[in-house]
Amino acid sequence: MRMGILCGLLTLGMGLVVSSAYTLTITDGSRWRELAERQRERRLRLQPKRGTIYDRRGGAFAVSVDVPTVTMDSVELLRGVPRQQIPGVARSAANRIAAALGIDAARVERRIVTRRRFTFLKRRVSKAEVEKVRRLSSSDAGDSRIRGLRVEGEGHRYYPNRELSGSLLGFVGPDGEGKDGLEYSLNDDLKGHVEQLRGLRDRSGRVLLSEGRSGDQALAGNDIYLTIDQGIQFAAERALRNTLRTYEGVGGSVVVVEPVTGEILAMVSLPSYNPNDYRESAVAARRDRAVADRFEPGSTMKIFTVAAGLAGKAIAPTEELYCEKGRMSLDDVVIRDTHPSEWLTISRILAVSSNICAAKIGLSLGGEKLYESLRRFGFGQSPGLPVPSDTTGVLRPRGRPWVQVETASASFGQGISVTNLQMAMATAAIANGGKLMDPIIIKKVVSATGHVLREGVPHVRRQVVSKRIARTVAEMMVSVTEGDGTGVNAAISGFRVAGKTATAQKTDPRTGRYSLDKYVASFVGFVPARNPKVVVSVVVDEPMVDHAGGTVAAPVFRRVAEIALKYYGKTPRNTAPADLAELARSADRANATMKFIRGAESSVQKVVEGGKVGEGQVRIPDMTGWPMREVVRRSHELGVVPTVSGTGLLSKQSPGPGVIVEKGRSLVLVFESPT
Amino acid sequence: MSLYDSRRRRYHDQFDWPLFLSVVLIAVIGVVNLYSATSPYALSGRTGLADVYVNQVYWLVVGGLLAILVSVIDYRNFERLAYVLYVGGVVTLLLVFVLGGEIRGSSRWIKLGSFTFQPSEFMKILVILAVAKNLSEDSKSESRTLVDLLPAGFLCALPVVLVMSQPDFGTSTIYTLSVMAMMATIKIHHKTLAALAVSGVLGGIGLWEYILLPYQKARVTSFLNPEQDKDAGWHALQSKTAIGNGGLTGEGFKEGTQNQFGFLPDQFSDFPFSVFAEDHGFVGAASLLLLYGFVCIWSFNVAASAKDRFGSAVAVGVGAMFFWHTFFNVGMAVGIIPVVGITLPLFSYGGSSVITVLVGFGLLMNISMRR
Repeated sequence: MRMGILCGLLTLGMGLVVSSAYTLTITDGSRWRELAERQRERRLRLQPKRGTIYDRRGGAFAVSVDVPTVTMDSVELLRGVPRQQIPGVARSAANRIAAALGIDAARVERRIVTRRRFTFLKRRVSKAEVEKVRRLSSSDAGDSRIRGLRVEGEGHRYYPNRELSGSLLGFVGPDGEGKDGLEYSLNDDLKGHVEQLRGLRDRSGRVLLSEGRSGDQALAGNDIYLTIDQGIQFAAERALRNTLRTYEGVGGSVVVVEPVTGEILAMVSLPSYNPNDYRESAVAARRDRAVADRFEPGSTMKIFTVAAGLAGKAIAPTEELYCEKGRMSLDDVVIRDTHPSEWLTISRILAVSSNICAAKIGLSLGGEKLYESLRRFGFGQSPGLPVPSDTTGVLRPRGRPWVQVETASASFGQGISVTNLQMAMATAAIANGGKLMDPIIIKKVVSATGHVLREGVPHVRRQVVSKRIARTVAEMMVSVTEGDGTGVNAAISGFRVAGKTATAQKTDPRTGRYSLDKYVASFVGFVPARNPKVVVSVVVDEPMVDHAGGTVAAPVFRRVAEIALKYYGKTPRNTAPADLAELARSADRANATMKFIRGAESSVQKVVEGGKVGEGQVRIPDMTGWPMREVVRRSHELGVVPTVSGTGLLSKQSPGPGVIVEKGRSLVLVFESPT
Repeated sequence: MSLYDSRRRRYHDQFDWPLFLSVVLIAVIGVVNLYSATSPYALSGRTGLADVYVNQVYWLVVGGLLAILVSVIDYRNFERLAYVLYVGGVVTLLLVFVLGGEIRGSSRWIKLGSFTFQPSEFMKILVILAVAKNLSEDSKSESRTLVDLLPAGFLCALPVVLVMSQPDFGTSTIYTLSVMAMMATIKIHHKTLAALAVSGVLGGIGLWEYILLPYQKARVTSFLNPEQDKDAGWHALQSKTAIGNGGLTGEGFKEGTQNQFGFLPDQFSDFPFSVFAEDHGFVGAASLLLLYGFVCIWSFNVAASAKDRFGSAVAVGVGAMFFWHTFFNVGMAVGIIPVVGITLPLFSYGGSSVITVLVGFGLLMNISMRR
């Protein structure tokens, strides 16, 4: 009987246990499974590698590198510590962590006692700091070991060219999202597929995707090759910067376009900023003036007035117009010319930039037709470039058709506003035989697995004017850079240059009238005049020392166009094609630019000085921290044979940086994962 | 027919196949489950931990040989030696305080060459033997009074005090409850029963106020209120999560994600049941418990048919020990009992535990074959 009672109690006990198991697995099962799932996914912080932005030749504009970051799991840190000892343990751990990382101990302590499972302690830590953290958390430390510290690789955006094209590229916020420029507008491509990574992470933080490395790859963002050419971009940036310094301008922009395709070869906006330290920069410096700033173009508009006049048969190419000796009254306003003239051919009208004759062309064409023509050249419309601050400019500021005076002033570019990009694209339409192209800035989008996903294909938006008219206007524009034209400073020896200067007064925002001392100097043109290779449009805002477009902006055009022509291998008649390598060695202006390019590169690689590099020898640069692909590519360029071990970023190289070696010898490279 | 032959036939006839097979089955499943429990370590290269299931096989072999030895020697020899063995056990327990190494704040282990063993484990069997001898010596048939129970109570209380001061609350609980089960099989005077009940309550209060250490209290409070103290409740929470994650049919052998991803703590010592339940679900867990339950009931069956009172008492003691281990371990895994660090017989990793359980079954087999 007593045995029976025992057996009964036993059955009761077992029944209790089994029914609890039933409750856990079946009745409340879904709740626990949800909890389990959350636990596995919750601490997921892995960002896919952001895609790289390259220039058209594969030079890096923006790269993501893994920077070690120290994180802490304070629950793990305090595991097994008796409650009354927690404050003491937290304090001592906080002091040691803070000493190792050079951060505020009180803040670390607060983070420990709040018992979060995940906190960032310090981002972008140095190698020495990583070592210190490893020592703190290694099991060799015995009882004084601090648990729950982790060193993780975190994608950090790095812009090797710093200020170059800062406003075009934009920057990436600490949350891994592009915040401005191309980083912002192409974020979806670059970012990768974060949500697919909401996979499996174990307690120690390892990712347990069954696909392993290839899985990571597939999730990485797409690489983007821009149409920008770093060499031309450098040249444009440097030329504009020098001009701003010389003439004390407040800012400016340069757009270089390949007229046949609409590909943008350079797009510079100054002042710029260093996206590596975007927090230090002024908001104004982040604006991409080439697309975001509207300005009254002034005389460069005459190109399109003339083209419209020819197309609308308001004038004939060979016609001469009377320019009223520099003074013409229209309704209640007086239009003046800086070079008073009587009878001028259309070419001369452009060459000396007569406002009066331009107004006459516009008036004889009629306001409605002129407006339509300018629209057809792309003014007042978005150029459609994938940049966040793209603006359209305004042709009819009062939102109604022009009255006579407005038509006249629009003919020479007053009372309307355009962007530098619009100006460049419209000029490209003259250069390429009348076709308005869609501007292209993305040459191709390549997935992390190497597949080309999209390519920038030239697209003709519309045939604006006939090929014949475009050719005629182009020829007329050549006279601007010849003889007594306003743009002789843009002339390049050995080439015929077509262009147009402009010196526009700015409107004073306080009075609403034209300011007496604030100007926008600009120059737009292309070269060679026949079969043009490049269109360069230069805008300089508020130059002080001088304000004439021909003085301030035309030289910028010349310097940029010269470099661009050399990059294209176009040479003046009767001269040998320029060899890029030779260019680097020669002593002409281009050399300085090339040096500048090299210099920007060496800011990354830090070449150690010492010794002379002889024939058949190379100096080994410091490539520490570079990704494998880059290191191998560079080694091949140098002519040394790379011997690779490990994965990740380069941690050791032998021979070391600065050592001069014979070409063809081997370079031992050891790669390590940054975590 | 010679005497030898007849004895052999009797052995053959009486061999307790159900007991033998269920114990072997539990041991095999236990090793396989250990393999699953520690498989995540193999991935991370901690092979020392990944290979514990191999060690467990060694312990099972050692324990099995000892069990065979124990089962072939007539258990009446153990009856004769019970007090001597008991004294030896108490001396070893005392030695722990002198020689014991401290692991996680308590000294329970004695190092013997490259092995460490836990005397309090083996003491379970010795306490059962001694108490059984004491209870069976005096053959009066009227109900016992408190005075009659005092010697047995002392036999139990001495090791309880020693083990409690190691400190090891779980094991002393097992001593007490196993002895109580043994006492339950004899007649006790109703006044004595009442007095026992009252002193039990008072003892419980005294225990809480004066004897339990902070970490032991923390386990209880965290059990009663897991949200309040997340760190101490973490183990229990993880165990429940793993079991709940298993669902009806489980995630599959070595597929239990909570264990594979390292969220389940102490998975080869305290929570092998949670690993099993996550791998094989409610169906697997219930079947396993059925098997454990069968072994317990079977040992009571052995006790009921034993040929003398000593054998009967030993069988009850072994069965009760087995039951309480199972109940406490699974109870803490499913979260109805605080985490007290009691092993699941033949599932938890540990040489002392495995050998103790198998020796216990050797005794049971011994009694079963000589009824």
